[in-house]
Amino acid sequence: MNILESIVIALDAVRAHALRSFLTLVSIAIGIFAIIGSGTAISSLNATVTKQLEAMGDAAYQIKRTPSIQMGNTWRKYRNRKALTYQQAKEFKKLLNIADAVSIGNTTFGITVKNGNLSTNPDVSLHGVDDAYFITNNISLSDGRQFLPEDIAAARPLAVIGNDAAVKLFPRGNPIGQSITIKNQRFTVIGILTSKGSMLGQSQDNEVLIPISNLMKYYVDEWEQSVAITVKSPGKDALEASMDESIGLMRALRNVKPWEDNNFEIETGESLSTQFATFTSYLNFFGLGSGLVALVAAGVGIMNIMLVSVKERTREIGIRKAIGARKSWILMQFLVEAITLCQLGGAFGIGLGLGGGLLLSSLLNAEAAAPVGWIIFSVAACTVLGVAFGLYPAWRAARLDPIEALRYE
Amino acid sequence: MAAEQPIIHIEHIAKVYTMGGEKLYALRDVSLDISPNEYVAIMGPSGSGKSTLMNILGCLDTPSSGIYQFNGLDVRSMSDNELAEIRNKEIGFVFQTFNLLARASSVKNVELPLVYSGVKRAERRERAEQVMHSVGLGDRMEHKPNELSGGQRQRVAIARALITNPAIILADEPTGNLDSKTGKDIMRLFYNLWQSGNTIILVTHEEDIARHARRIIRIRDGCVESDLPNEENEASYSEAI
Ligand SMILES: Nc1ncnc2c1ncn2[C@@H]1O[C@H](COP(=O)(O)OP(=O)(O)OP(=O)(O)O)[C@@H](O)[C@H]1O
Ligand SMILES: [Mg+2]
Repeated sequence: MNILESIVIALDAVRAHALRSFLTLVSIAIGIFAIIGSGTAISSLNATVTKQLEAMGDAAYQIKRTPSIQMGNTWRKYRNRKALTYQQAKEFKKLLNIADAVSIGNTTFGITVKNGNLSTNPDVSLHGVDDAYFITNNISLSDGRQFLPEDIAAARPLAVIGNDAAVKLFPRGNPIGQSITIKNQRFTVIGILTSKGSMLGQSQDNEVLIPISNLMKYYVDEWEQSVAITVKSPGKDALEASMDESIGLMRALRNVKPWEDNNFEIETGESLSTQFATFTSYLNFFGLGSGLVALVAAGVGIMNIMLVSVKERTREIGIRKAIGARKSWILMQFLVEAITLCQLGGAFGIGLGLGGGLLLSSLLNAEAAAPVGWIIFSVAACTVLGVAFGLYPAWRAARLDPIEALRYE
Repeated sequence: MAAEQPIIHIEHIAKVYTMGGEKLYALRDVSLDISPNEYVAIMGPSGSGKSTLMNILGCLDTPSSGIYQFNGLDVRSMSDNELAEIRNKEIGFVFQTFNLLARASSVKNVELPLVYSGVKRAERRERAEQVMHSVGLGDRMEHKPNELSGGQRQRVAIARALITNPAIILADEPTGNLDSKTGKDIMRLFYNLWQSGNTIILVTHEEDIARHARRIIRIRDGCVESDLPNEENEASYSEAI
């Protein structure tokens, strides 16, 4: 028996029932699309975020009240944690020994920045930072100067602005030395950040930095009282010692009893990317899950088509058996037909999924990553699907009695 | 004649259908021997069991009881695959309703038995074309069945039955769906096949058609009523057609 012969017969049968085949093909394509699409988008996202997190440096870490990435219903778990106050952070900064730099920051989002009657959208991130922030976060300026320790201590009304605000508020001139208004407070621009481009479709230059002392004074509500501390350890080797010291110090400052867990979080770039990977694996699981549901639905469609096809072609099967086709040949013919149908749908879905995934990741400005593994998975899944849902109809065809099949009207 | 081993040997064959608890005998008790190069006509009224007998002889159906030996082999103990092989290689079956694959060209239809016996594509095509020529359809290779006349369709079916060089050709009312002129053409084809050494059994209920055969078996109510050589002179017969 010849597989190629079966494929030709199968394609012929697909062509003969073009509409019906097409509909099933579409449902397979949707299933594969869901799997491939989410796979492509997520691996692109992963590649981009991992790269960004690595850029944070492997000797830095952060201390915060709650974790950066939270999954599930963890609000209950963290809501009773005491704020990590600016006061506490300043104390911490003073006492920590094993560190190259310690910066204290806090951010409030959705801020409007004005220059006379020119105004940004109400979507600027306003970072309250200190002088060490430029070291711990590897921030560089394209123009002007950074904050000095005395700027922070005296809460001087100074600002370092991102490229977006600079372009929007100062379309003609140099912003340095000019003043901007944030919620009725005036700040003098002393520096402009180097443009960072965009990530996942969002500009990373839509931000304004002011001294943390000012941010805490004017812009944060009670529930935003907690600050984040970023520590740059003297090197990768000293990271662990530095973190140990930080934990001990923090526990002492926050009165944590020896038998209690930390009531704060300490995160490295590495631990963040692990957390992010867990997060995307949930997304992956979701894409896979919904894709599988679609595929099973498609499988039922395939089985239905094949059962109808077997029924309609009962006489044909009778003829083939009458002139000497073995059971196994009939079985194979209908199985190959089911698999061919699935693979056609799968190929369609792979195209759709790759296209969609790449489109999505280019919209999000993430790096494109073609998941070869997913394609192999799809081909395998379609074969399994074809066999799983084609077997019963094929078996029904194979076991038909030749004389009864020939008599079938 | 009797010294030769018969191709077909059946003894006390019966076929029973149970319908609503009642037993219905399609065949009661049939015994026959068919030897190589015989030309047999099976006759009988409608419902007498002719088709049932042919289907059993053609290994399409199985008897309820009795003995069936094909070329000395016990058919009733054969597996499905062995039966498929006998149908494929040893028997050429011609149906009243042609039973061609509607979507395949006539030459593809003729090739099909060779596909199942694993003959290579090129050889298959060559043999199919040869047989198509021999039944006078050399110019209709690529026609689909619905692009052919009834007589041409039956020729395609005969070509398909002939392509594996079977030991015996079974034809169940091969002219039943054809007008008398076309029927006559088909009968001439069978006559020529017999002349060139083939063994043929055909079912008919027309005396005119049965005259062509050299032996006539009459069946009534699932039993053999008579089994006689055709008295007609062969020479005068061949002149007649
Ligand atoms: N599948 C079946 N189930 C029940 N009864 C059947 C079946 N097949 C045939 N029969 C019965 O068996 C008997 C013989 O049928 P068969 O088809 O052999 O007759 P026939 O001699 O070929 O008749 P005709 O000349 O009309 O073709 C009939 O009475 C028929 O009703
Ligand atoms: Mg009949």
